[in-house]
Amino acid sequence: MPISFDHKMTWLHKINPSVKLVVLACLFVAVLFIHNPNVMVLFAIGPAILFLFFTGHPFKRILLFSIPFLLIFLSTSSSMILFGKGETTLFHWGLIDITVESLYRGMHLGFRAIIYAMLGLTFALTTSQVLLFYSLMQQLKLNPKYAYSFMAGIRLIPIMIEELTAIRYARMVRGIQNTYTVSGIFSSIKGYSIPLLSQSIRRAYRIAVAMEAKRFTDSRKRTYYYQLHFSRYDLLFIAYFGLFLLLVLSISGHYPLFPVVDVRSL
Amino acid sequence: MPIVSSFEKLRLKFPGTKELLFEDLSLSFEKGEKVLLLGPSGCGKSTLLQALSGLIPNSIEVPLKYADCTYPDSWGFVFQDPDSQFCMPYADEEIAFVLENLQVPREQMPQRISELLSLVGLDLKDPHARINTFSGGMKQRLAIASVLALDPEVLFFDEPTAMLDPEGTIAIWETVKRIAADKTVIIVEHKIEHVIDFIDRIIVFDAAGTIIADGSPDEVFPSHQTEFEKYGIWFPGVWDQYQSTAVSIKTPDFPLKRKIVLENFTGFRNKQTKLRIQHAEAVSGDWIAVTGKNGAGKSTLLLSLIQLLKTSGTYQVNGRSIHSNKDISSEAGFVFQNPELQFVTNTVFDELAISFRQTHASQETMEKKVAELLQLFHLANQRELHPYQLSMGQKRRLSVATAIAKNPAILLLDEPTFGQDAKNTFAVLELLESYRLSGHIIIMATHDSHIIQHFATKVWNVVDGEVTVKEAEMSIPVEVGHAYLI
Repeated sequence: MPISFDHKMTWLHKINPSVKLVVLACLFVAVLFIHNPNVMVLFAIGPAILFLFFTGHPFKRILLFSIPFLLIFLSTSSSMILFGKGETTLFHWGLIDITVESLYRGMHLGFRAIIYAMLGLTFALTTSQVLLFYSLMQQLKLNPKYAYSFMAGIRLIPIMIEELTAIRYARMVRGIQNTYTVSGIFSSIKGYSIPLLSQSIRRAYRIAVAMEAKRFTDSRKRTYYYQLHFSRYDLLFIAYFGLFLLLVLSISGHYPLFPVVDVRSL
Repeated sequence: MPIVSSFEKLRLKFPGTKELLFEDLSLSFEKGEKVLLLGPSGCGKSTLLQALSGLIPNSIEVPLKYADCTYPDSWGFVFQDPDSQFCMPYADEEIAFVLENLQVPREQMPQRISELLSLVGLDLKDPHARINTFSGGMKQRLAIASVLALDPEVLFFDEPTAMLDPEGTIAIWETVKRIAADKTVIIVEHKIEHVIDFIDRIIVFDAAGTIIADGSPDEVFPSHQTEFEKYGIWFPGVWDQYQSTAVSIKTPDFPLKRKIVLENFTGFRNKQTKLRIQHAEAVSGDWIAVTGKNGAGKSTLLLSLIQLLKTSGTYQVNGRSIHSNKDISSEAGFVFQNPELQFVTNTVFDELAISFRQTHASQETMEKKVAELLQLFHLANQRELHPYQLSMGQKRRLSVATAIAKNPAILLLDEPTFGQDAKNTFAVLELLESYRLSGHIIIMATHDSHIIQHFATKVWNVVDGEVTVKEAEMSIPVEVGHAYLI
């Protein structure tokens, strides 16, 4: 069954995919160096606005996609909150020892995880994979060999999902029970992965031959069906995060939410 | 006429094998010829096609030697598997990929793409259509369109319809006839009924890759019937031949009557109703052909009967109500379309032994039963091989053997003769027939109207998930696209 995610086009879709990728990569690194929880919490609003209102996908789907990331938020922050080290105890019960320090650190980590998740999802929801690879070839000079291999590889995924279902059915019909011992799990993994891999390797090989039969070569000289350019949306995107970062820094300086400025030095 | 493609004294050897595939093979093709290569499975027809195009050794590294050769100036190659010849997700992008490789300016692409699509009869509203929503026949026509973008002088077809239903097969050959009138066409194909009137030269190979006949169809067919039969080639009239040699046995009376009853039976996929049966019955000795177009719900019907899908309504086997896979697993065997996905062990022997080990049969009984099965299915010499090392026909036989190892009352099969040559097809059908005659019920999805005519006792026709029961003796539901033309 084909999986499709129909959606509206927004300005995020019109950004050059390479620009989007580079900006997001920079933000990923930047977020890594934020240690002030005031900045971190305020900064989360930026990606949240884009993710919630500008991806062009229906709100229901956005909420659905958010579920696993809320779980990531809860699990990363809670493990730090419940078991982290600290001196000023707020709550104590058996192994659980919530301190002010661990609470801040946990919240900080959780927000970092959720910012990553929102940035990543926003990118995935607003970027066509084909256009991404065309842009990487044109703007970032990626070798077409790799770009087209990736695109061909992506086509294999739905086929593999179908085969996985077929193997699952076959194992049920053949009366192979999944046992949950170490050796049982190992043999199930083998039972699924060997047929899947053998089918996929052969299919990948056949696709490669078919691509060469269509005169695909190592040469970088080729024309492009999609020509991607830079546009004002790229500037808008850069400006959005640039200005937002400045705004966050100044607000957090003047009106701090928490009395802590660095979670490492608690 | 000028020669467009030729080899003189071609020798070719696959790494790891001892024998040469071709020994000093010489052949040549003139411009505009329409040639069909025939031969038993594994005789090297496809390999020859790849060598003629230069895919061997340029893309596929197989050592070869020749005294002289001519490669066509431009050529296109259409492969067998519709799912493994595209690298882009959308139809227009796939053709554009070829145009990009040829460095066609971007401005000309949309025009070329719509021209090529209409040339192969793919009249899409928007060429930006997802390839994975296409039927097999549409995919193969897209493959032809993208190959035509190369403006080829010679077209190579490597069993382009092996994985298609009759409707798709006809559409492909109609397209080829339309577009290739002025081109050289070299075809490898098992199902030749629809190409034969297009062909003006046939080359027949034996199992060792030597040419045993080369000439026009009128010369070759009458004089080489026995070879065709021996090598399992689908030649025109193969079914008439088969009928005259097969002994037809009337369905005998069975001491043990088995019976399936379906009443208001509904099958679901993802909570959606995909299958409805008002009333249907099957008894011992029934061979039920499940017919219908691709996607009509034939597989859904089989998966519902083996209870891998959610169902509702009455479903009884020998008076016992069936509600889950557990209830039916001892009564029914299942043969999947792709045999490889069905194998769960590392040797042919284990593949059969596993059924007996599950029932805790003694080692002796198990050994004996497995040996019997291996003998029956002509797999005794392969008992220590990995199932993946078997040939196409052997894999198919093993998959049927695994399904009947437990001697189930009902055997469900999903297009078991798909992509098999005539020899393998008849071998499987005969095994099934003897199983039916020993009082079992066979329910088999198939496209082949010959199989229905010769073997089926009843037809369950599926149209958009709605099943209607017909007696096979009555006229077979031959839809326009399903009729064989000879």
